[in-house]
Amino acid sequence: MGAVTPSRHTAVMADEDAQYLTFMLGGEMFAIGILGIKEIIEYGSLTVVPMMPAFVRGVINLRGAVVPVVDLSARFGRQNSAITRRSCVVIIEARADDGQPQDIGLLVDTVSAVQEIPAAQIEPPPSFGARIRADFISGMAKVEGKFVIVLEVDKVLSIDEMSSLAEAGQMPALDADAR
Amino acid sequence: MSINLDQAQQTFIVEARELLQAMEQSLLQLESEPGDQNAIGAVFRAAHTIKGSAGLFGLEPIVSFTHIVEDVLDRLRDASVAVDATLIAVLLKSGDHMLELIDVVASRGEALQTPALEREAALRQALSAYQGADHAVAGVPMTSVVNDTQGDVLWHLSLRFGVDVFRNGMDPLSFLRYLDTLGRILQVTTLTDRLPALDSWDAESCYLGFEIDLRSAASHATLNEVFDFVRDDCEVHISAVDDTPFETAPGGTELVAQPEQLAPAPQRVATNSEAKPRDGNYVRVNADKLDELINLVGELVIASAGASLLARSCTNDPLQEATSTVSGLVEEILDGALHLRMIPIGDTFNRFRRVVRDVSQELGKDIDLLISGAETELDKTVVEKIGDPLMHLLRNAMDHGIENATARREAGKPSKGHLSLNAYHDSGSIVIEIADDGAGLNRERILAKAQERGLVATGAQLTDQEIYNLIFEPGFSTAEAVTNLSGRGVGMDVVKRNITLLRGTVDLDSRPGQGTVVRIRLPLTLAIINGFLVGIDQSTYVIPLDMVQECIELDEPQRQSSRDQGYLDLRGEVLPLVDLREHFSHEGPPARRQNVVVVRYAEHKAGLVVDDLLGEFQTVIKPLGKLFGALRGISGSTILGSGAVALILDVPALLSQIVQLEARTAQAPQSPSVVVR
Repeated sequence: MGAVTPSRHTAVMADEDAQYLTFMLGGEMFAIGILGIKEIIEYGSLTVVPMMPAFVRGVINLRGAVVPVVDLSARFGRQNSAITRRSCVVIIEARADDGQPQDIGLLVDTVSAVQEIPAAQIEPPPSFGARIRADFISGMAKVEGKFVIVLEVDKVLSIDEMSSLAEAGQMPALDADAR
Repeated sequence: MSINLDQAQQTFIVEARELLQAMEQSLLQLESEPGDQNAIGAVFRAAHTIKGSAGLFGLEPIVSFTHIVEDVLDRLRDASVAVDATLIAVLLKSGDHMLELIDVVASRGEALQTPALEREAALRQALSAYQGADHAVAGVPMTSVVNDTQGDVLWHLSLRFGVDVFRNGMDPLSFLRYLDTLGRILQVTTLTDRLPALDSWDAESCYLGFEIDLRSAASHATLNEVFDFVRDDCEVHISAVDDTPFETAPGGTELVAQPEQLAPAPQRVATNSEAKPRDGNYVRVNADKLDELINLVGELVIASAGASLLARSCTNDPLQEATSTVSGLVEEILDGALHLRMIPIGDTFNRFRRVVRDVSQELGKDIDLLISGAETELDKTVVEKIGDPLMHLLRNAMDHGIENATARREAGKPSKGHLSLNAYHDSGSIVIEIADDGAGLNRERILAKAQERGLVATGAQLTDQEIYNLIFEPGFSTAEAVTNLSGRGVGMDVVKRNITLLRGTVDLDSRPGQGTVVRIRLPLTLAIINGFLVGIDQSTYVIPLDMVQECIELDEPQRQSSRDQGYLDLRGEVLPLVDLREHFSHEGPPARRQNVVVVRYAEHKAGLVVDDLLGEFQTVIKPLGKLFGALRGISGSTILGSGAVALILDVPALLSQIVQLEARTAQAPQSPSVVVR
């Protein structure tokens, strides 16, 4: 198995549900609960999968397992993230609706920190105005006087939704079952 | 017992199921050739072994029922009962019932449900007609004797274990322990007179005998059952002793004579020796362990490819030599490992004999099943998953395909319908054909139904092939009467879906009045393929090697003309081209030199235009996961020696995708074309 990019495991192992990984995306700060995060690796050697929607960046080899990488920015309906030296892939264990776990990589601009955010400092999501789909947001956390969007990972990385989007993307051109 | 009973019981269940299947085969064989002594022997052996093993685990319901079956079979064997259709039917049903009994054990259920018990009673009744007068008495009371306590009886058992007992996997001690559960062992005398001198002693042989006094309420038959397993190579004598428990232990050399016990023994030895060599040739391995091994071998292949790549990059000849030797060996291991998973499809096919027999009787049609290509091997997972779809197709063929005898005679066909199952290898895949000589599909009715359901636009021009394949659409059924077997319109679409999940395709061909052929094409294995690597831009794709026919270089003038025409003149043949670079929307200008990989799948042939040819590579298929479930044209991925991920092309899907796109663009030329011309 060839050279796998060195992985930096998240240093914090404590099982407190109030810990979040914060990261930057298009100049905005987001947070996700650390429990679903398996590891964070540097971005590199990605294989593009053709005929997939823009938010599916491609696949990477994670120590022998093939893991899809989702471009979070594109998933929010924005531009594809530009790759920089600080681009990272956050490996998350997502679950399909049938309960099958699947690892998915989340492409982000930079990871910032693992922070403890008390539940009291998390506000319910606004019904609009955050410029991303409301069901993607689990709450707005106040960190150092600024609002950080805490993401609802199950929704953002809903395999069923993403695969049906992929299917829909192919269908107009194909309609493969029509015959 | 010293062995883990739970585990042993699992083995028993698995074996019993296999034996029942073998028994069914032999019964069907017997039905077609009533005089077949081998088949009778095989059926008897199966029943006998099941009874014996069940006795060892104290599974009373199985023992008592099987005992009756065995009795009838025994009479069949010595020709006091003749084989006839009713008997076979009863025996087949008895086999089903035994399977049910075993399932109860397997699921740790309490007891049979009432309907099953009623069935059992009916079967017992039917079987008893075939039992001799004396047997009929001997068979049934056996259970009752156990149940009603006549009070303890003192039994004397003389056991002389055979020399090979240990080699056959039996532990004499376990029998003694089991006896202890049946009653109270008062005295055991171990007989050592057969022990040889120390220098000729074989540690794997058993030289011991036992004289046992047992006080038990169990019947003679129950005690006898205990030794069913070792009866063949041991001498066992059981007799009731009237009284005086502690004085009956004899010197140990004299066996209590019971001549009628000795008589059947030699026969059984003979039948058992037939079965033995077969056992010796196989090792039963847990499928999970096998999968794990194959996975590891897959990783090994990738790792060794990586090592070779590194070795080639440094100028160290001995190192390169060494890695190439390793690669060669790894390849052999891979072939061997993959072969472990390959099993002939014959077992699956044979299972359908019974289905065809039963269904044809139910439908009142006379149908013959012809099997060919049973030795064709394919991956175990594929074999397991293809059973249900095949069953569906067979039932459909019998129910809708083959007409009843009157209709057949009117059509000038023999009144006996024929159904054939055939399997063969063809360009890296296995083809399974289900053919019937029935009426064929009704083209008009399918079309009418499809239009009614809105599957086809009215006035659309469809080829016969397209119309026939409409029956694989969900919710499609043309049967006028919904029968027990089929006609509800669930089925064909499920069949198609299951086959697609196995990376296979299904295709149907029909001729009115002459019959229908369904062709299923499946990959041989799901784990590893031989691939041909091609490069487009920075990406690497893998084309399954079985489909690659040849590679040709595309020079500049050809390139221009092929670009204009979309096809290439391949030695006078028209070869449609697919520019993968454009199809997969790779950006950037095409490479200066391009190549064409000629692929063939079934009757389709096409040329894939790629940038680089990178050579052969054995690849472990890594599924892409659910996220890419809708992706067509790519069947999976693999990890290259460099650590990069390469995508495996699904050539059949790719080609059919392109055919559809072309058809679409031909219909609506203004729509933006994704495909390259």
